[in-house]
Amino acid sequence: MAELEPPANAGPPSKRRKVQDDSADSTPRYESLAKQDSQPGEKIILSASIREKSLQSRPESLSRTPSRDRKRDNKYYSSDHSRHSRSPSSSQSRSRSRSRTRSGSRSPLRSRSDSSSTRSRSGSRLPGRVGSGPDRDSISRSLRDTPLLDGQEHEDSTPPAHQPVRPHYVPRLLLAGHQEPISQVRISPDGRWIASSSADATIRIWEASTGRHMDTLVGHMAGVSAIAWAPDSRTLASGSDDKAIRLWDRVTGRPMKPKPLLGHHSYVYCLAFSPKGNILASGSYDEAVFLWDVRAGRLMRSLPAHSDPVSGIDFCQDGTLVVSCSTDGLTRIWDTSTGQCLRTLVHEDNPPITSVCFAPNGRYVLAFSMDSCLRLWDYVSGTVKKTYSGHKNEGFSIGGCFGSVDGEPFIAAPSEDGEIVLWDVKNKEVVQRIQGHTGVCFWVDVCEDIMASAGEDGRIRVYKHHNSEVAKEINGVSGVNEALGDLVVTDPSLQNEDIKKEI
Amino acid sequence: MNLLLSDDYLLQDYPENITNTIRSGHTTCLRFNRKGDYLASGRVDGTVVVWDLETMGVAQKLRGHRSAITSLSWSRCGRFLLSACQGWRVVLWDLKDGRRYREVRFRAPIYTAELHPWNHKLFVASVFDEAPSLVDLSDSNDVKHILPSAPRRTNIDADAATKEKQAKEDAKQMTTATVWTVTGDHILAGTNKGRLNLIDPNTHEIIWSEKICSSVVTTLRLTGSGRELLVNSQDRIIRTFHVPNLSAEDLDPDTIQMPLEHKFQDVVNRLSWNHVTFSATGEYVAASTYNNHELYIWERNHGSLVRMLEGPKEEQGVIEWHPHRAILAACGLETGRIYIWSVTSPQRWSALAPDFVEVEENVEYDEREDEFDIHPQEEINKRRLDLEDEDIEVLATDLRKGYDEDLGGTDFRMPVLFDLGASDSEEEFVAVSTGTVRRRSMGEGQDGEDVEEDKTAAGAKKVPAGKGTKAKKK
Repeated sequence: MAELEPPANAGPPSKRRKVQDDSADSTPRYESLAKQDSQPGEKIILSASIREKSLQSRPESLSRTPSRDRKRDNKYYSSDHSRHSRSPSSSQSRSRSRSRTRSGSRSPLRSRSDSSSTRSRSGSRLPGRVGSGPDRDSISRSLRDTPLLDGQEHEDSTPPAHQPVRPHYVPRLLLAGHQEPISQVRISPDGRWIASSSADATIRIWEASTGRHMDTLVGHMAGVSAIAWAPDSRTLASGSDDKAIRLWDRVTGRPMKPKPLLGHHSYVYCLAFSPKGNILASGSYDEAVFLWDVRAGRLMRSLPAHSDPVSGIDFCQDGTLVVSCSTDGLTRIWDTSTGQCLRTLVHEDNPPITSVCFAPNGRYVLAFSMDSCLRLWDYVSGTVKKTYSGHKNEGFSIGGCFGSVDGEPFIAAPSEDGEIVLWDVKNKEVVQRIQGHTGVCFWVDVCEDIMASAGEDGRIRVYKHHNSEVAKEINGVSGVNEALGDLVVTDPSLQNEDIKKEI
Repeated sequence: MNLLLSDDYLLQDYPENITNTIRSGHTTCLRFNRKGDYLASGRVDGTVVVWDLETMGVAQKLRGHRSAITSLSWSRCGRFLLSACQGWRVVLWDLKDGRRYREVRFRAPIYTAELHPWNHKLFVASVFDEAPSLVDLSDSNDVKHILPSAPRRTNIDADAATKEKQAKEDAKQMTTATVWTVTGDHILAGTNKGRLNLIDPNTHEIIWSEKICSSVVTTLRLTGSGRELLVNSQDRIIRTFHVPNLSAEDLDPDTIQMPLEHKFQDVVNRLSWNHVTFSATGEYVAASTYNNHELYIWERNHGSLVRMLEGPKEEQGVIEWHPHRAILAACGLETGRIYIWSVTSPQRWSALAPDFVEVEENVEYDEREDEFDIHPQEEINKRRLDLEDEDIEVLATDLRKGYDEDLGGTDFRMPVLFDLGASDSEEEFVAVSTGTVRRRSMGEGQDGEDVEEDKTAAGAKKVPAGKGTKAKKK
């Protein structure tokens, strides 16, 4: 397997550039990560772990898409333009931006080949142990018993009292198992399962209520960047850096089809199922959007969508529209049936868009852009209706979603400082902040009263909403979990597994 | 949702060119479901194939019949599909698991079998040389009610000789097509003598009857509203009728009027019509021609021919119009291919570049007063953000729900099957000679039924389509 990932300077040209840039870029980024941490004590430990990594020349970067330094060129007239004619200078800047992104998923293979796997693991654990919050005891306990309840951060989560929407998500579970950063976490449409995709080339399925680890889906040859649940909650699609899309049976944990969906020329980066589950849309680093016939596993349509990697994709609720976005700063709306572009949304400043999703009623599009803003577009008029800020998103591809509490909508987004930020849709105010992850939090998904987040630390955190009355009571009490009557849930099998990993 | 963005409504509302050709075996029969996202097709070998119109791929394959499918009918919710075949059998399929939900045997080949519009456990069938039946599947044993074909006689006190004569005449009346009215309160039946009967499904009696044409009625179709009736008959004339409100409380059978609206015919070529269909709204009538390649489309307002669709070099059998859109599905008699006719909208290039506008002619550009004023960036941003005070709704779908609403609230979702095999590409069958196909490869673990495909397909040469040949058999 290690041969598949070429060492630096040995791969195909496109990859080589990335690998080279990896090593060049990795160090500054860790510094920036370290800077994010406010507590001085942790900083030292963090930098130590970074040094360890950089000495191994393992750029274990965890980013999904940092393409901040990309040259901004308004190339939205023709998406083919940049694909075919890449001037040396632009390819230089572009490749740098991509390189960082991908290294996270690439590292596992390399780590497998080198002998110091245990050390690297402990290395990656280290920041997690330190950074997770004020109560270290609880965190170290968390490493022993996973999943566990970690309700220590509830101080941050008090919502302002006068808000119309009052999400109060309380930490419930911490799921550990992935050995690399997690790119996406998705709750199944029926709310029973959580799937996570990681740079360690695996997908894991967890039970949402107990946190029990159900299955690990192994098959991809490189890091997995995207997952999507079919609407029946039975099929799971995953897209990987090995350019393949695989469809998995949740029940058996086996691939649905003997052959993966092949066709993309580069890393598959985002996936979305149509509401009926018959079409799968995929976006890739090859700048195209593909629509697949899920039943036949056949490529139905390929859309020359963008002039940069397609970073996000979504179907609207009736399946007639597909939205795609790219780090070229464009968000495009497509007609599913004809494959025609119906609208292009672009903001004046043209910030790279890292993720996109439709509003639950399909009338608006929420775009996550790398100027630390979320923009809610009315795609019919082509105008920004709301801009949400208060989180940090400058170098990574993060993604969140809509949720609702008591019939009032909110938006949940991860932040690069590890927090999860929740906004009121209507008045754009932050209604809850949750201190979630060590390092960057990449993905948040909400399904009814469950919220799941995942990040650089390789952990998944699951939160549950409690209505405000209960929440107020809890805020007076020190131990959230005890007050709620929730118990630490441990699954013997998982515990063993985890212990095995620890040793 | 895409309606908000497209100006497809500007496009014409009848199809113009072939956008897809799909094929699974030799198709003889077609039917769209009510929602218009699936197309059922019946094959010569008895297989029923359900196509997903979004992917143009096979969604389900239902095997159970042994001979050519003559009729298909969807339940309102789209979960049940009724198929009738020449092999004396009607099967009600549950598409949730693709299994035979019920099976009913008759004593003759079946012309049409149509499900009650609201009750999927009730259907009416017209049978070759037999009386039509109303079949109730609500019990575990299906109950067949025989429906009359001959109208009731008013002259009860006629002498014996007349009675005998009438009885003889009545015995010759055979129902060849049946259709439910939209409410499901009545059955419309056409007979081989050109009569149109209105049958009360509760009393199983003909409450109204009229001779509407001189020859065999082959197809009956109603518009979505149920106010127009389309009749294809063997006398080479397609007729449309206005249907009165048959569900009125004070319906008096004796005063029912079904006035003739249009007669569509080709007086020059004297063509006869294989199959006819109403457009989504009933505004157009389309017909496939016997011994000819064209599809004719008339508009009903003035009764004029608007279009002749020419494409594939083969005679077209059954045609079906999509329930909402300008899509026409037609199956070729010789190859058994399904041709999908539709309209294609051109790509609007301004959609790709938002600051460009497509203009018909040059436009004088008026510069805004403050267009080139320089403001500090913060101010611009602040102003921009301050403008975002609009109240927006992201959860409720305030938009028109359209036809989804009247589907009875049943949200049946077709399962996505992965084990269909890649057996439905064009390559599956090879045309050996006219109307004869042969399976190219026998691999992929097919069941025994498929092996028989050769024989049945070869037999199809003589019997190209159930409907088109119906009258010829007589």
